[in-house]
Amino acid sequence: MTGPVTEAVHQWLDEAATAMGGDSGRRRDVLLELETTIYDRLEERSGGETPTTKDVTEVLIAMGEPAEVANSFMPVRPLLAPHQTRPFLLNVSAVFAVHMLFVIGATVAGKQFGFTSFRISPIENPGNALGVFARALGTLFFDIGLLLCVFAILPRLQRVIRFPRTSLIVRPKTRRSIELACFLTLALVVVDVFRNNLLALYVPSAEGTLIIPFIGQGIEDNILLLNLWLISAIARELLYVRFGESRSTLGLDVASNALGLVCLLRMVASRELVDLTGASDVLGSAAETLGPLLNTSFSLLAVGTAALLAARLVFRGFRLMMVRRAGS
Amino acid sequence: MSNLLDKIGAELRRGMVQIAALSLLRKRLYGYQLVKVLAAAGLETEEGTLYPLLRRLESQGLLTSEWDTEGSRPRKYYVLSSEGVEALPRLERIWEEISGSVGRILQQEGDAPEVEEPVVPVEEKR
Repeated sequence: MTGPVTEAVHQWLDEAATAMGGDSGRRRDVLLELETTIYDRLEERSGGETPTTKDVTEVLIAMGEPAEVANSFMPVRPLLAPHQTRPFLLNVSAVFAVHMLFVIGATVAGKQFGFTSFRISPIENPGNALGVFARALGTLFFDIGLLLCVFAILPRLQRVIRFPRTSLIVRPKTRRSIELACFLTLALVVVDVFRNNLLALYVPSAEGTLIIPFIGQGIEDNILLLNLWLISAIARELLYVRFGESRSTLGLDVASNALGLVCLLRMVASRELVDLTGASDVLGSAAETLGPLLNTSFSLLAVGTAALLAARLVFRGFRLMMVRRAGS
Repeated sequence: MSNLLDKIGAELRRGMVQIAALSLLRKRLYGYQLVKVLAAAGLETEEGTLYPLLRRLESQGLLTSEWDTEGSRPRKYYVLSSEGVEALPRLERIWEEISGSVGRILQQEGDAPEVEEPVVPVEEKR
């Protein structure tokens, strides 16, 4: 085969490879089969002679657009299952409405509202219709991205011990856009967390009080681990959706579970998850009874979650070992 | 209109390719060989349709595959698995039933088949 012919074939295959998700082994298998087919077609077309660039162009046209061919090999795995579409739209509408109410509230009050690591700032120039529209659109995109994360993760949380098996309806191209939106949202959260010195769940407000006022020393001491665990868990779920089960995703899964387990065990060991001392003005003597009760409840919850994480850690670790063995 | 007919035709063909491919894969064939055999039998199928279908049938356990690297270029051969061999006669029976039913409906040339009216007892009519 001449240089331009193989070059054209490899370019086609490279484009298909770029468009094709999934694990690398499967991708290699598909690409090799496609490559063999292209050369078979070329050989047939040129009748055993050296194929010309015209031959290769026509064969590649007959094969179809590389991205489309690649997409046909991707298993259909929708981020949102059919039954989730309606609740998703309802939730987006509700969250968007609340979000916009806060934006309007911030604009009317003329000051920024803060909720954990999220800030809602007022519209700078409410008289400018285009600016208001852009802000509303930005808010809507943010809410869609946020809820997609939640909806993509929820079914997996429901079967936290089992493997994530995605069932899909969204076409691959749309799915990639949705996943990109999720990754961008995650990146924004990560940037935001780092901007706040990794204290996303525990940010002092301008008045010197805490946004989450009743967290105890146990959570405060482990806030960094807690944040890293949450971020790694979100990243892990997104990567599972994008790349499926592979050594890398399983490795991240194991690391994320280990991190969560250490974090929860440290929190439970400190026994001070809730601190209601600052609430005695409001709760009065009830704070003395409620404090230990809440502490015990949260500790039990943390122990239960730690047990689940430990089981998942063992299961995923075992699975990683199997995948490694199969790979080697 | 012709686009719509093409689409419906493609959907019909896709359903048939599955059983045709399974039937042909009683003999060991590689992907492009199967494309050509199907085309010769009047079932033109693109690689983008057939190859993912073969992979799906393989993951469902009806086919097995192996790479043969001894020829001029590596080829992935497919053949019915033992489960596939077992399932094929049953699939053929299902196909014959469907094909017979559709054939009978089409032969009626658009006339709705006569369906007996349910007999309503006299008491209920009152």
